[in-house]
Amino acid sequence: MSSNSEIRIRQLDTVDIGDVVTIDEKITQHYRPGVWEARIGYYMRRDPDAALVAIGDGVVVGFMLGEVRAGEFGLEEPTGWIEVLGVDPDYQGGGVGRALAEAMLRHFRNQGAKTVRTLVDETMDDIAGFFGSLGFEPSTLRPFAMTL
Amino acid sequence: MAVREARLPKNFHQAVEDWRDTFLPDYSFLLESWDKHFPKEPRFKLCAYREMGVCGEVECGAKKGQPKATKPSELDEEQARHLLGAIRAQASTEFGSIQQHRLTLARAQEEEEQVWVLRMMAEELRHGYQMLHLLVDDDWSCQTEQSSADMVEEILSMQTGSHVLGAFNIDFDSFVDNIVFCGLIDRVGKYQLAMQKISAYLPMAESMPQMLREEAFHLATGVVPMRRWMTKAAEGEVFVTVDMLQKVLNKWLPRGLEMFGDERGGGSNVRMGLKPMKNAEAQSQYYDEVAKLVDDLNMRYVRTKLPEASIGEAREVVDRLKQEGDSGTEVRGIAADELLHMPHGDFFRRRGVPAFRMVGFHGETYDDHGEYMQHLRKMLPESYFASSDFRDYSQTLNEVVAGELEAEVAARRMPALRRVAGSCPCSKSVRWVRDEPMSEAPAKSVDERPVESAAS
Repeated sequence: MSSNSEIRIRQLDTVDIGDVVTIDEKITQHYRPGVWEARIGYYMRRDPDAALVAIGDGVVVGFMLGEVRAGEFGLEEPTGWIEVLGVDPDYQGGGVGRALAEAMLRHFRNQGAKTVRTLVDETMDDIAGFFGSLGFEPSTLRPFAMTL
Repeated sequence: MAVREARLPKNFHQAVEDWRDTFLPDYSFLLESWDKHFPKEPRFKLCAYREMGVCGEVECGAKKGQPKATKPSELDEEQARHLLGAIRAQASTEFGSIQQHRLTLARAQEEEEQVWVLRMMAEELRHGYQMLHLLVDDDWSCQTEQSSADMVEEILSMQTGSHVLGAFNIDFDSFVDNIVFCGLIDRVGKYQLAMQKISAYLPMAESMPQMLREEAFHLATGVVPMRRWMTKAAEGEVFVTVDMLQKVLNKWLPRGLEMFGDERGGGSNVRMGLKPMKNAEAQSQYYDEVAKLVDDLNMRYVRTKLPEASIGEAREVVDRLKQEGDSGTEVRGIAADELLHMPHGDFFRRRGVPAFRMVGFHGETYDDHGEYMQHLRKMLPESYFASSDFRDYSQTLNEVVAGELEAEVAARRMPALRRVAGSCPCSKSVRWVRDEPMSEAPAKSVDERPVESAAS
């Protein structure tokens, strides 16, 4: 990223699907267009204001998907969930994730959410550190899983 | 932000439900299928939504910074006239698109695609309802002698062929039309709604946020199946080919470009604080956005066809084939005509600056009507040639080429708004019909030409 470039956040549009697929592929080394078509279709129905992309140097360099839900896991109050975050590896460390998160938190506040939650695998220290830098703290809500 | 729900008075609400029973008979199927396709999502509700807390000050134009109008009588005469026209046009498009989609809805090959389109149709009905709410909830007597009942009646009585905007007067020929229409024409709607979000008329501005949210899904209803079809085409499936998609794209893109209005216009809307962009600027952004969509679809095709290729290699193939056009060149076994290409912005135009100039797909121009028809025959879906819309276009173009009709007059002859009185002296009815030739009509300024600038 050029040193003086600014990050602009806007709502994700369906013409950005290819960019999202590319960023995911750069991160995971997997080409998964069908996965993102289905996911983005879902978020476009549920809460398109909580589907965001970051623009840097005129191209999509990151994305974040989330929504406000209530009534799950015993959480009755409206809760903002950050569910997906992807930043182009070439642009990581440049404030893209923070810009996306700040826009998302503003949206959650406007939707009446008092709490924001996300889940981070404990092996992903960098992601945990990112959310920690935004003010996220470990929650008493613990994830449980079992193999079927 | 808080959202206020509103319903039309009972008689008007019932009128919309009756309209729905006629033109959206699969509505009950949508409700039955809702939990299967949209689990945990709020069920559709026929009502108007007004978002509270939107900006209360005029955001552009001569009155920037002043309080937005909360009722029509607070608008000046010119503002009110423009706005009333825009609301009527928008209502017309919402109902009009349902009439188009229903023709070919049953031809969908995938249930998911069909139900997505059906949901989109229901939401378009709600958008039309929202516009009727603006007409009925507010007192427009400062601008029109028509009663609310008459305005609602005329909008609900429109049929394909008599709608305000050209794109809503064209019949669909296959389910490919449903999908491409969502991807291209609803994209125009997104622009119009986004621009109207800053409207100097507060009830209009408050109506836009929820409509925009729903519009985002309507775009997905078009784009996601198009991406899947490109994949299947690359795998060799014959149901929806790239050639078919290209021709349907060629059919709709010119109409989408025209929906922004004459390229020389839009200044009045900016000056009056009703929209932030002139027509040409919004149209140009739209064209670039569709070009990005086409590029994305091509990448999907190439990645499927060349699964071993990296992102960079696939990008190189797409870029090279785009440069080659239809030269017959192949790159890594893929021919240029296997991909989608963007028509020139002046191609097959019948309104605006390039109207009736006979511009070809690549921007080349034609002098002979017959040669241009042969060119269009290669570029447009075959079934579209049998439509009255295309026949009328061809006949009008012939008159222009023969020097019997000015292009500007011909452009106004394309389906547009016309108010006529009833034939019976005691009748108060009015209706909107296809415009007759207006060669004797007085010349209008660019901003006064038939509104071709609202849709969703």
